[in-house]
Amino acid sequence: MYKEAHFDGYNSIPGVWDEMYLQNSDIRPHYQRVIDYLSKESPDDLGKKEELAQRLFMKQGITFTVYNSGEGIEKIFPFDIIPRIITGSEWNFVEKGIKQRLTALNLFLKDIYHNQFIVKDGIIPIDAIYSCPHFLREMYQVDVPYDIYVHIAGIDLIRDEEGTFYVLEDNLRTPSGVSYMLENREITKRLFPDLLPNCGVRSVTDYPNILYRNLQALSPRRVSNPTIVLLSPGIYNSAYFEHTTLARLMGVELVEGRDLVVNNQKVYMKTTTGLQQVDVIYRRVDDEYLDPLVFNPNSVLGVPGIMGAYRKGNVAIVNAIGNGVADDKSIYIYVPDMIKYYLNEEPLLKNVPTYRLNNPDEQKLVFENINKMVIKKTNESGGYGMLMGHASTEEEIDRYKLEILKEPRNFIAQPTISLSAAPCYIQGALRPRRIDLRPYALCGPDGIEIVPGGLTRVALKEGSLVVNSSQGGGSKDTWVLA
Amino acid sequence: MPEFKIQHITRYSYDGAVRDSANQVILFPIVDVHQTVLKHDLHITGNPIVDTHVDYYGNEVGSFTYSVPHNQMVINSQLVVNTMPRQLPMDDIFPAQQWETLTQLQYTVPYIDFLKREYFDGIDELKAVVSGQKNEGDTPYQLALRFCQYVYKNFEYIKGVTTVESKLEEIWKLKAGVCQDFAHMLTEMLRLVNIPARYVSGYICPNHSGMRGEGATHAWAEAYIPNYGWLGLDPTNNCIANETHVRLAVGRNFLDCSPVKGVYKGSSGHHLEVAVSVGYQDHEPEPIADKFAERVTAPGPFTNNGNDGSKNSYQRYMEMIQQQQQQQQQQQ
Amino acid sequence: MLSRVAASFYWLSRYIERSDGILRMLKINYASSQDAIQGFTWEPVIRIFSGADQELFDKLNNDSRTVINYMVTDKTNPNSIISIITHSRENARGVQEHINTDLWQCLNEYYHCVQDKSLSTRLKKEDPISVLDILIKQVMLYYGTAEVTMERGPGRSFMNIGKYLERAIQSIDILDIKFGPLNNNPDLLTDTTYWKHLLQSLGGYELYLKTYRDGLEAHNVLEQVILNNDFPRSVIYSVNNIQRYFDRLKLDSSMTDYQELSFFIGKLQSHIKYSSVKGIQNDGLHLYLTHLKDQLYQIGNLMNERYFANS
Repeated sequence: MYKEAHFDGYNSIPGVWDEMYLQNSDIRPHYQRVIDYLSKESPDDLGKKEELAQRLFMKQGITFTVYNSGEGIEKIFPFDIIPRIITGSEWNFVEKGIKQRLTALNLFLKDIYHNQFIVKDGIIPIDAIYSCPHFLREMYQVDVPYDIYVHIAGIDLIRDEEGTFYVLEDNLRTPSGVSYMLENREITKRLFPDLLPNCGVRSVTDYPNILYRNLQALSPRRVSNPTIVLLSPGIYNSAYFEHTTLARLMGVELVEGRDLVVNNQKVYMKTTTGLQQVDVIYRRVDDEYLDPLVFNPNSVLGVPGIMGAYRKGNVAIVNAIGNGVADDKSIYIYVPDMIKYYLNEEPLLKNVPTYRLNNPDEQKLVFENINKMVIKKTNESGGYGMLMGHASTEEEIDRYKLEILKEPRNFIAQPTISLSAAPCYIQGALRPRRIDLRPYALCGPDGIEIVPGGLTRVALKEGSLVVNSSQGGGSKDTWVLA
Repeated sequence: MPEFKIQHITRYSYDGAVRDSANQVILFPIVDVHQTVLKHDLHITGNPIVDTHVDYYGNEVGSFTYSVPHNQMVINSQLVVNTMPRQLPMDDIFPAQQWETLTQLQYTVPYIDFLKREYFDGIDELKAVVSGQKNEGDTPYQLALRFCQYVYKNFEYIKGVTTVESKLEEIWKLKAGVCQDFAHMLTEMLRLVNIPARYVSGYICPNHSGMRGEGATHAWAEAYIPNYGWLGLDPTNNCIANETHVRLAVGRNFLDCSPVKGVYKGSSGHHLEVAVSVGYQDHEPEPIADKFAERVTAPGPFTNNGNDGSKNSYQRYMEMIQQQQQQQQQQQ
Repeated sequence: MLSRVAASFYWLSRYIERSDGILRMLKINYASSQDAIQGFTWEPVIRIFSGADQELFDKLNNDSRTVINYMVTDKTNPNSIISIITHSRENARGVQEHINTDLWQCLNEYYHCVQDKSLSTRLKKEDPISVLDILIKQVMLYYGTAEVTMERGPGRSFMNIGKYLERAIQSIDILDIKFGPLNNNPDLLTDTTYWKHLLQSLGGYELYLKTYRDGLEAHNVLEQVILNNDFPRSVIYSVNNIQRYFDRLKLDSSMTDYQELSFFIGKLQSHIKYSSVKGIQNDGLHLYLTHLKDQLYQIGNLMNERYFANS
């Protein structure tokens, strides 16, 4: 009925995989039911749904904080009401691929902090490891429970014009955004009553339970009710909302560094009844700030002496310390080799071709084709410090090149990948916008589990390829069909 | 085979009570064929349990906490150490071959860590000095000795002009500093010509006065000489660090070897006093009750009382937490 | 309960109570400034909330609007409404998962109301009482919401201890400053407007009229503000409540800490309970009030040390 009103003017972007449309403008079968549903809704109805979504987010205080000249401003992470849909078979492939990748990354971390076979065998050049600022010598020969380093991973996936999945980034330190996966789903339930069960959408609500179970299993003390805390940098952190949400959903205490104290290599939290020993810490504080005694001495977000307690095995820390050496953008290049080396398998998920700017040949190639490249800093994330070759002026490029030449180790380049597009509700009509996908994987003693879903981030600006929230991106509910 | 009795006292005094202090000490001499420890008593205020582990560089590191409110903390380390002189390098292999050996080592563990250069404003000037010092046909050993002499001659030994955190840039501009800075500069010069270089922390026990670095912990450098191994070079005294130098720790830089460091909570500033005294053979070390060699005053506590509207609430929050947590570390 | 969380509850509540005191004080004093043709001074108000700072008196120049703006919207004043409500909200944000959304939203609204850029202009140009009333209403909303929604657990006890401690200290401060000038100016003893304003700024004028039939007398004022069990801003009422809510913390305390503080509070409570106006006046009011304040501060310090882990 209202199909034309929604879809008139929806032009698939040439050379881009459209999640909803086939080449000949037929609708992909897995989007059919949603389209049928939307067709019964007038543009006005959809407008109202969008307003309702806004209101729900505001009311629940689902915000992140952006700092402008020191004063924090709370903002809503823009939410697009149209779900992104992944078929069961697509998901099976993604799930297998991520499990394979994480298994290898975990083995890599264990190896690099112990025997370093992979370096000895020349698979990864030693300077790639030793020049990586996230390779923490403090972790050398430190054993972690069950040899699990990556308890929580957020693997960023994108799709090229053929629909092939690529891994863009492995986030193995303190990946964020999972609260949006959960909240987006709750909002969608309200926006489109009954549509989720009708379409056979798999549930994501198990996430906090699985995480809690895994955290519990890590307790060094064999007690029935170990003390588990979520360590947050505090109210000024941009993800503070997520920290409170996860703490609430798991029923664990939300603590800040100043709530904890180390005494004789054990960690305690300060309560009104005295000190209470802490067994497991799900920390959302970066390695660098975790222990001012061992790492950045100026950090006031951490817990002095916690590294000692961790080394002794008196407290479990999630994710493990020192994971940055595995998700560093210049180590990323070697992940397919890791998979072959440790698992003797061919990688299922592909890497985006990546050039190291400290390699003279590759640097030359990049500089010659800079208009087709995205250049990134290896030690930055969140879309900061990037150069998008195709969208930059000559002056910007020249300035960036100078910066690269100062410390080429800190940069990598990738050809501009055409992210896939999905329909978004933009000013009263559906329009294609570029998206990525971040599923969240949980590794526990019983293996790796990935809740069927994730965070789909979307570049809401027309023509934009940057999905980061700090750069004008938003998010969508992500449906995995049974 | 000299035997030294070393007493090393570190005393932190606080203006008011502080608590929750977490500390790390690297005060355990390295044990190898050139150095043995006959006795070691480590006494710390409050008798905390000192947990030790071996770090990445092979140093024994102790950690302890002291939670209850306290106004003072004293770390008293008493050692009896035996050292054995080591023969100097024969240096009878063709220079080119030695340099080639070093080239082959550069991408191997552990040498890769000891070759990493620091970038600083002035590195080009230093590079010019380094190539000026180098003669055709020099062996790494000869060049290392010359660098050691260069630092000794061109940098002035002045206490108090640098701090524990001084960077190369500052030292290079000042052309002055203490043994920590001298060792820092020498390691950088050696690394610039691809000689692996380590920072060493320890004690100097000259058995006659006049050497620099007495009365406190000392620092020097080690250069890796092909077919020999690590050779100690003391740029502060322009000598080879041999049986008169007792090694506590090695690492890439001062931060890897810091003998005593800690973090505590409380709004009080602290004074740090360090004293080291050495007795030889049967002589006891001189009592060091009132002979503290260094007196470092930390910056006073942050005050929060002023009507400071220029700061937003975030900055005030950070200051508030900062006020509760402070660091302590000594310079070498 | 985490020490930090307990401390946040306590402080968020102290700040709110302080803002309430400041706003009422400003409102009544502004009204009385309209009654007096000459001789009205803001000095006592400034002294209560900003200390005896001659430079500040000079700067504010006894100008009603300037004083009110300084006390409400000036970010450089650590005790202005805007500063303390910002602190209060930050404390609440740190315990957001322990309070319900209604209370958080209520506090958030108060904060945004104070942050409103037009507030300062309105205080300069419009009727200040109407503007102050808007803010006072926010406090009332907060108190109502807290009463209805807060879980009856230790969090609420810490909040109420903070609230009543702050209130007791304020009432003592007001008495101390208002009774101080009597030594030099005995005429004030019979100045009925003087006592009326004191009672009004504590919201106790009507109760006074009901209780005492023989007009405004300084010693009766003293009795009501210190010793009246039914006057919600009396010192004894506040201390009774501190005792009451502290008692509920028994299970959330270590035994020795609980006993020590409980004894301390009980001692203070009895001390006040068995005071009489005559006795107080014989001993010297200022001395008496100073002693009470010291004891209340001591309770604050002990809370800080034993419950908030800030020894």
